[in-house]
Amino acid sequence: MISRVAGCCFWMHRYVERAENLCRLLKVNRSFLLDVPEGVADRWFPLIIVSGEQERFAELHPPAAGDDGELVEAYLTWEERSPVSVITSMRWARENARTTREVISLEMWETLNDLWVDLSRGKARRRYDTDRDTFYKRLRDGCDLFLGLSEQTLLDEEPLDFMRLGMWLERASQTARMLDVKHHTLGPSRADRESPVELAQWSALLYSCSASEAYYKRVPSKPDGRSIAAFLLQDPALPRSVLGCLLRARATLERIRTEGRPELGDEPAALLDGLIDRLRTRDIDTIFGQSIHDELTNAIDTTAAICASIDRAYFDPGDQSALLAAS
Amino acid sequence: MRGDGRDSKQGDSKGARGSGKARDAHGTGKSGSKKRGSQRSGSEKSGARNHEKNAKAPVFAGYEPLPGGCYDELFAGAGKARPAIAPVVRQLDQLGEHEVRFRQRLADGAFLQSGITFRVYGDPRGTEKIFPFDVIPRIVGAKEWDKVEKGLEQRVRALNLFLADVYGEERVFKAKNAPVSEEIVKGSTGYLAKMRGIRPPGPKHVDPTYVHVAGIDLVRAPNGDFLVLEDNLRTPSGVSYVLENRLVMKRVFPGLFAKVKVRSVDAYPQKLRDGLMSLAGEDSTLAVLTPGHYNSAYFEHSFLARRMGSMLVQGSDLFVHDDRLYVKTTKGPRRIEVLYRRIDDEFLDPTVFRPDSLLGVPGIVQAYAKGNVVLANGLGNGCADDKGVYPFVPDLIRFYLGEEPILGQVETYHCSRPDHLSHVLANLEHLVVKAVDASGGYGMLFGPRSTKKERKDFAEQLKAAPRGYIAQPVVELSTCPTLTKKGVAPRRVDLRPYVVTGTSTWVLPGGLSRVALKEGSYVVNSSQGGGSKDTWVLASDDAASDAREAAE
Repeated sequence: MISRVAGCCFWMHRYVERAENLCRLLKVNRSFLLDVPEGVADRWFPLIIVSGEQERFAELHPPAAGDDGELVEAYLTWEERSPVSVITSMRWARENARTTREVISLEMWETLNDLWVDLSRGKARRRYDTDRDTFYKRLRDGCDLFLGLSEQTLLDEEPLDFMRLGMWLERASQTARMLDVKHHTLGPSRADRESPVELAQWSALLYSCSASEAYYKRVPSKPDGRSIAAFLLQDPALPRSVLGCLLRARATLERIRTEGRPELGDEPAALLDGLIDRLRTRDIDTIFGQSIHDELTNAIDTTAAICASIDRAYFDPGDQSALLAAS
Repeated sequence: MRGDGRDSKQGDSKGARGSGKARDAHGTGKSGSKKRGSQRSGSEKSGARNHEKNAKAPVFAGYEPLPGGCYDELFAGAGKARPAIAPVVRQLDQLGEHEVRFRQRLADGAFLQSGITFRVYGDPRGTEKIFPFDVIPRIVGAKEWDKVEKGLEQRVRALNLFLADVYGEERVFKAKNAPVSEEIVKGSTGYLAKMRGIRPPGPKHVDPTYVHVAGIDLVRAPNGDFLVLEDNLRTPSGVSYVLENRLVMKRVFPGLFAKVKVRSVDAYPQKLRDGLMSLAGEDSTLAVLTPGHYNSAYFEHSFLARRMGSMLVQGSDLFVHDDRLYVKTTKGPRRIEVLYRRIDDEFLDPTVFRPDSLLGVPGIVQAYAKGNVVLANGLGNGCADDKGVYPFVPDLIRFYLGEEPILGQVETYHCSRPDHLSHVLANLEHLVVKAVDASGGYGMLFGPRSTKKERKDFAEQLKAAPRGYIAQPVVELSTCPTLTKKGVAPRRVDLRPYVVTGTSTWVLPGGLSRVALKEGSYVVNSSQGGGSKDTWVLASDDAASDAREAAE
């Protein structure tokens, strides 16, 4: 497929996945803060940190604004100047869909367009003001419908593979960011001394990843931070775990390589393999605590490097005359 | 509840087939009615309520064509539908104004939902707008259309021969009583001297094709004749609206389409694909070239690519190697043999035309000259649809085909001719004077609405550079009944039919009817308060009488 269009497919799914994750996080953080004792409340700023929006947020708002939950939530949902807010992600998702209309299905387009019309014409804003949980749920449902429709309505071929690739890589990075919220909210964990608040937050993270029920199936004993962290980071069967997402991204990349010119994908494949190996072999007992934050930061940075490498390999290949001469 | 009785009554009279369709129509209405309240502003809602009082009122009950002799598309006079299309008009009439308004709202919702929009330039947030649409169709009789079709085919045939000649042998300039002067043609901004001697790729046994897609703008004279107002032979746009308008009309008037046989427009993308592919080898690859998604016509480019099953590419996706055109793909380069390009000549190849163009492909003109890629439309067509050449097209038809032009055109004075110039100068207040190299209303004098001083100043300009101007009498655009806030009223319309030419020529039945939605306005452009209508060409005059029976 056309290189540029492959890039649009990749990014379209990244943006939808990103918006969906942010909705999860915002909704769960609200209910988490309602459950914990006072003093811990108003811990909204970690969401700004893990979104990488510290600087911009500080530019746009007064110093103490990070404690204002309303403001943080509005920023991450509606701020058009932020490149990661829900509204920005949805705008770009639709824009990418608009430029790939000849590739995506009518159902996908209509779903995304409906979501956008809803968001941009005030209706959703009123829902946000009056019934916020429903607002996030609707958005999430719409995003999930869109992602599901791409599996249901497209040929199982290259364009869909690039969409999946974008979705898995974005999800891997988003789960890593979610895990990092814990670090920024309550500081480093200690396996031997876990407070009820800490445990509540670990549970909230499970919930954010739709992984509570799966976790109770996996770990029959009393829940604890260490096993939750290991589950969300390393369980290959969990579809939102960091490792699980990376493994699926790797398999998708392999499909793309075998059906095309394998050598084009050598670099991103090597980077992915490296990160997968590293996550697989880390012992949770040694990284739980301070170094889990470093581990997550590494996972996020490496995922970004993988995306950049995919971009060079497939989406923005420069002059291809050399390939022509070679064949 | 609304519409129930009427629909089933119509269904009954038509038997089983009809009633099925009627239920269909009712279903559409019901599901849409929920949306009504929330999507519309309060004032419009109350407007709708007022109309509810006379819910049964026929659509055209109070309709009166404009006085003063301008042609109305549907009515010869108040209450007198034009005979050829009268049965169809009656079908519409019986729906009632209230019902038609309701279906207008359904249509508006459908356009928004499907995201059929155009971009408003100069808006940093990239606002998209819906092209306003009026559900009352413009209806053209079968026989009447036959003549238009033949006339368009003839005109495009002649213009193709003209272009081949201008860039080839130049017979036209050498002939005794030359129909147009070399100076006028070569002096036009669209003439590309670099194209001399280059034959567009295509089979050798047929005349080369320059005008693969033509949009010929027509207006209706007060006597009912269609006249050519303007030829668009470069990258005419708007055809996607014709197809989408029809889809939406079928959705909101399913019952009507079951009773009235309207010629289908749906074949356009296939016809275009077939036409373009007929000029290249069998296993060729076709792509549509767009300037990108910020272009106002991006929707159309994407639409055509989808419907033709072709790639949609941008300049940066393409490169030329060894005089062949390739697209960059995730699996390496892929050859393209046919390119339906929707960017202007001057942006197409920075090595030949504008060096600052980022939209084009370096080397593509050389690939074209070598016969390695079909470019549609051809390069250099601008000298055939130039305002300065337009007055001579009837003579070109006579010259190349030895036939009389089937379609008339608007009487035009070319100020380069001394006798014409003196006539123009003497009649400025009755004429529209246009600069040949300007468009969009610039460099223009609208005589009847000009001041004495404006005319005096313009006369000076004319005398200083007479070759740069043409003049025409004011064109009375025909009107068509249109839904307005105050009821159904006459609004001005024009018509752009589309003509596709590969190794043979095909005319899309109907075309884009643009309508000036503002009262009294002549401006049909979407950027200035214009909208569009579906254009119904009746399948045959028998179909009209079928409908008459069904109505009785």
